Order: sequence, then C-alpha cells, then structure tokens
Amino acid sequence: MPGKKVSIIGAGNVGATAAYYIAEKVMADIVMVDVAEGVTRAKAIDFLHAGPMRGYDVSIEGTGDYAAVADSDLVVVTAGVARKPGMDRMDLLRVNAGIVKSASKMIARYAPNATVIVVSNPLDVMCHVVYRTTGFAVQRVIGMAGILDSTRFRYFVAERLGCAFTDVHAMVLGGHGDQMVPMPRYTTVAGIPVSRFLDADELERLVDRTRKGGAEIVAHLKTGSAYYAPAASVAEMAEAILTDRRTLVPCAVCLRGEYGIENLFIGVPVILGKNGVERIVEVELEPQELQLLRRSSEAVRKGVEELETFFTVR
Amino acid sequence: MKRIGIIGSGNVGANSAFFMAENGTATVTLVDIREGLSEGKALDLLEAGPIRRYDTGIRGSADITAIRGSDIVVLAAGRVRSPGEGREALYRDNAPLVGELCGEIRALAPGAVVINVVEPVDMLTLLAGRVLGFDRGRVLGVGGLLSSTRLRHLVSRALGVSPREVTGMVIGPHRPGMVVLEDTVRVSGVPVAQLLEPEALCAIVEETRRAGDTILELSERSTAYYAPSAAVAALARAVIRDARTILPVSMRLDGEYGLRDIALSVPARIGAGGAESVIEVALGGREEKEFRDAAGDLRRSLERAGAGAGPGE
Repeated sequence: MPGKKVSIIGAGNVGATAAYYIAEKVMADIVMVDVAEGVTRAKAIDFLHAGPMRGYDVSIEGTGDYAAVADSDLVVVTAGVARKPGMDRMDLLRVNAGIVKSASKMIARYAPNATVIVVSNPLDVMCHVVYRTTGFAVQRVIGMAGILDSTRFRYFVAERLGCAFTDVHAMVLGGHGDQMVPMPRYTTVAGIPVSRFLDADELERLVDRTRKGGAEIVAHLKTGSAYYAPAASVAEMAEAILTDRRTLVPCAVCLRGEYGIENLFIGVPVILGKNGVERIVEVELEPQELQLLRRSSEAVRKGVEELETFFTVR
Repeated sequence: MKRIGIIGSGNVGANSAFFMAENGTATVTLVDIREGLSEGKALDLLEAGPIRRYDTGIRGSADITAIRGSDIVVLAAGRVRSPGEGREALYRDNAPLVGELCGEIRALAPGAVVINVVEPVDMLTLLAGRVLGFDRGRVLGVGGLLSSTRLRHLVSRALGVSPREVTGMVIGPHRPGMVVLEDTVRVSGVPVAQLLEPEALCAIVEETRRAGDTILELSERSTAYYAPSAAVAALARAVIRDARTILPVSMRLDGEYGLRDIALSVPARIGAGGAESVIEVALGGREEKEFRDAAGDLRRSLERAGAGAGPGE
C-alpha cells in the first residue's frame, strides 16, 4: 500500500506486535510513539534489521514525540496501564481516560484526517474518550473488541472439532470479555451451522472459555496479558481500512439507534473500509440475545456516566 | 518435501503448478505427452521465482515415470469442452486417456491421493477410482469446490464486501443441476438472506450454475482455468498440510446421501489421507429434490455413456 502511514500510540507488547503484523501484511509505514522513548526507538531499529529477511521495505520509526504521527492515515491507541493490585475499576478508568485523552488531543492536532482504532481498556468507554476529545466523525473512531473475542471463539471451536480454524466463522456482539454476547446461530464450520457438530452444552463451554479468554492467558503468564491475538485483531482491522477491503467484522462503534441503542460504543457487526465504518449491519436477534446486548450496553453506559463526572471535575 | 505430480501441462496443469509454487505447497513435477511443453513451463516458473520469492522445486518431463512416488497426482490431461458441447461426447473422448493414465498412476504412485480435474469431472472421477482401485477417499474430483469459490466471489461482489469472510458450499454433480446449500451462504457467519434480496441471491445461484459456460462463451476457445487451478491447489494444500478442512469434493459415495456407485461433490474432511470422512448435512426440501434430480441426470449420463457401475464391477 504505497504511501500509507500508521501510527501506534503505546509501543508495549500489543502496540509493537501490531506494528509488526501491519508492516508485514499491509506494507504501511509505521510510527510508534511511547513515553518510553529509548525502548520504542530500539524496537523500531530491531524491526528494520529484520526487514531484509522478512521482505518488508517500509519505514519504521520509534519516538516519544507526537509530531511524528503527522498525516497518519490510521492511528492505533494502545496506551494505558493494566490494573495494578489495590486499584479499583474506577481508578483504572480514570488513569487510562487521562492517558487516552491526552493522546487524543495530539492525534486531533497532528493527524486530523486519521481513522482511530482504540485498544485501551476499558475499551467501550475509551472509545468515548477518543470520540469526544478528537471530535472526529463517528465512523472514524472504532474499538477493537468483538474481532478478538470472535477469533478466540473460532479457534476454540476449531480446536474442539479438530478442523482447520480457517473453516470456522463466528460473530459476537456486545462489550468485550465478560460483556460479550455470543451468537452460536451465526457460527459456522465451512458455512455449515456449528449446531450440526456441537451440542448446546459443548457450545456453552466454548462460549464461557471465550468470555474468559483474556484471563486464561493472564493466568498462564502470571505477569502480563495476551498480545498476539489482540495485535492480530488490530492488524486485521488496519488492513481492512487501509486497503478498503470492506470486511464484515464485529467492532465497537457508536450506535445511533441501531439495535435500539443511542450514542453508545458497543460491539456490533460492521463493514470496515477506507472510510472506517462503512456500514453498521443489523443482524436479526432473538429476544434473549437482544436482552443480553442491552444488558451489555447498560454496563458501558454506566462507565461513560462515571466518566462524565471525571470530565467535568477536571 | 512432499511431491506433487501433475499430468497435463496445459492451462489448468501449469496454473495449478504456479499456485502451488506461490504457496510453497510441495515440489511439483509437470508431465505432458507433448515433448518440451512441461520442461518449458517448469523453466518459466522457476525463472519467475526470484521475483515472486518462492523456491519450490519445479520440473517438467515428457515421461510419465517422472511422477514416480508422488504424494499427490493431479489429472489435468485430455480435451476441454467446446461451446455447446454435451458432457457425454466429452466423456467418450477423455475416458480412454484417463483410464490409461490411471493404470500408470497405479503402478508409479500407488500411495498417492489423485485429484481429477478432467471433464466431465464426476464421471471421470468414478472411472479413475475404478481403474486405480484405491480407497475412494484417495480419488477426488474438483467440482463443488470450484463452484463454491465462484459462488463466494459472486456474493462478495453483490454485497461489496471482501470475499474472504464469505462462505458458501455447492454440492452435487458438476453440471447446471448442482445444488447451492443456501444455509451455508453467509458473511462472517451472518446468513446472506439478511443482507441480500431473495431475487439477487437467485440470480447469483443461476450465475454460479452457468459460470463455466459463461467463461467458455466469453473466451470462445478456452475454458476457465484460474479458478479451477485455484481449486486444485487448495485441495492439494489441504492434503499436504493435513489441514482437516471441510471442502466439497467429488468422490464415490458409498451410501452417504442415500447414493452409491456414483461420484459427485459432497462436503468432506480433507487431510493427509485425502477425504477422511464425508459430512452429511441436512438438505432443505427444495435442495433435497434438486440433489435427487441432479444425481438422477448424472446416473442417466453414465448409463448412456456406457459407464454405469453395475453390480460386480
């Protein structure tokens, strides 16, 4: 993709691995911005050293200076802290909202035409922070959530069935993780509904494992959390947007009455293309699924309302 | 490195080799009775390697013994269909060649999975299996897989979405009576009925049925070969990598879908041993009828061509 530029705010494991996937798959120039300037610069140089072997010939820069994101086509926001012992949910929300808010101001200043992919947690609320602070068009602020849940679910189904994981397609709705609304009806193996292969109990077990997919990795790692699948999800979205691939995937986007939800970022199927969210797809939901989606959205609304006080107090 | 022998270095054979090289699937040997043709195409492909960045071994030969010991043998020889030509006349012309080649394959590559792409594909896959005497899962025809990739393209075009997430399976005989499994036509798991008007889907199904003819008529002399080659390469890759992926392939049925002694496309799990199991999916009422009618047509063609598998064969 000649001339495309992607900036990644936060060069931790998710940010740096996303940079790697995007450099390899999309051939976009990459800028990584992080307060840890030396480490970020080192990662960029290391990536460049691998280029001759891996065959990407893009420019990769690591810096602490936001001016480097100038004229980016796409900005990925991964900055934020993980919850530390003794921090409650609201503490985390405040700390990350502060970080994401200041990043958003810089994005608006230096890359006013960019599309933004939000990865920082709590995801659906951080999308609001980016949307409000940048003032960008609603279709240009997109949260990475459902695509990660669905890739995990697809993997679990394929592993259980012993089939190729590319055979499995799935759609999930709602918030990320605990708030995910799985859609077994929209899960297929080579297009064949998954119910042909797995009974409801087995599916429920896989759904439950997906809900706890992030925690499962954390439990293994002890310190740190998943980053390969999250970064791959970011790269998939980046590729769809930069190459106008028009792919139908679940992402957190701002609903304006779709699914009966107003002004809230929540995970739903969308078509991603060069304009960001090209279209929000309203799939048919059964009453129980709709109820789960509403419940999921109420949790997001609560976070947003808590944030309102934060914004006004400051 | 596993080895693939391709018999027939025409458009389908050579492009299959090309896709396999790009995927790094296996070492490829192209064989064609026409002296020099295979060597020339193999050399041309190798010379593209430095730019295309593959280093797959590719060779060409006019001697069929070059395929000795292959893990996969692709049958891509014979004559292609002329515009308006029926399948039975084509069967009469291609059957002796396929029979002769299968006799050679049986001796040279007795452990191979054989992929047949010679038309009429279902009739000749049945014949190939009979001559080879291999386990039926190791004699596969490219039919439903080809129609499925065409269907998926047409759906993605109609919706303006990427084809990668579009699923859709076509089963039954590789002729206009083929059966599109409507419930499998989806985008990222979302049924196409929620995204596309029923008339638009009907038009796509009709276009899928006619897809081979459309290309034959447009190009006048040449039949399609990119999509058929892509289907061959996908099937070969699934076998080489033991992918256990579910693909619709033509194979002899042994009671599945209530049929036996006939080869047509059904969903099967493809791995190192070829088709390792047949997946029987529930057919809707209309699909069930289409499937029975198309299988009946195919059986009558086999009988007219004198290729019916009677008892004791």
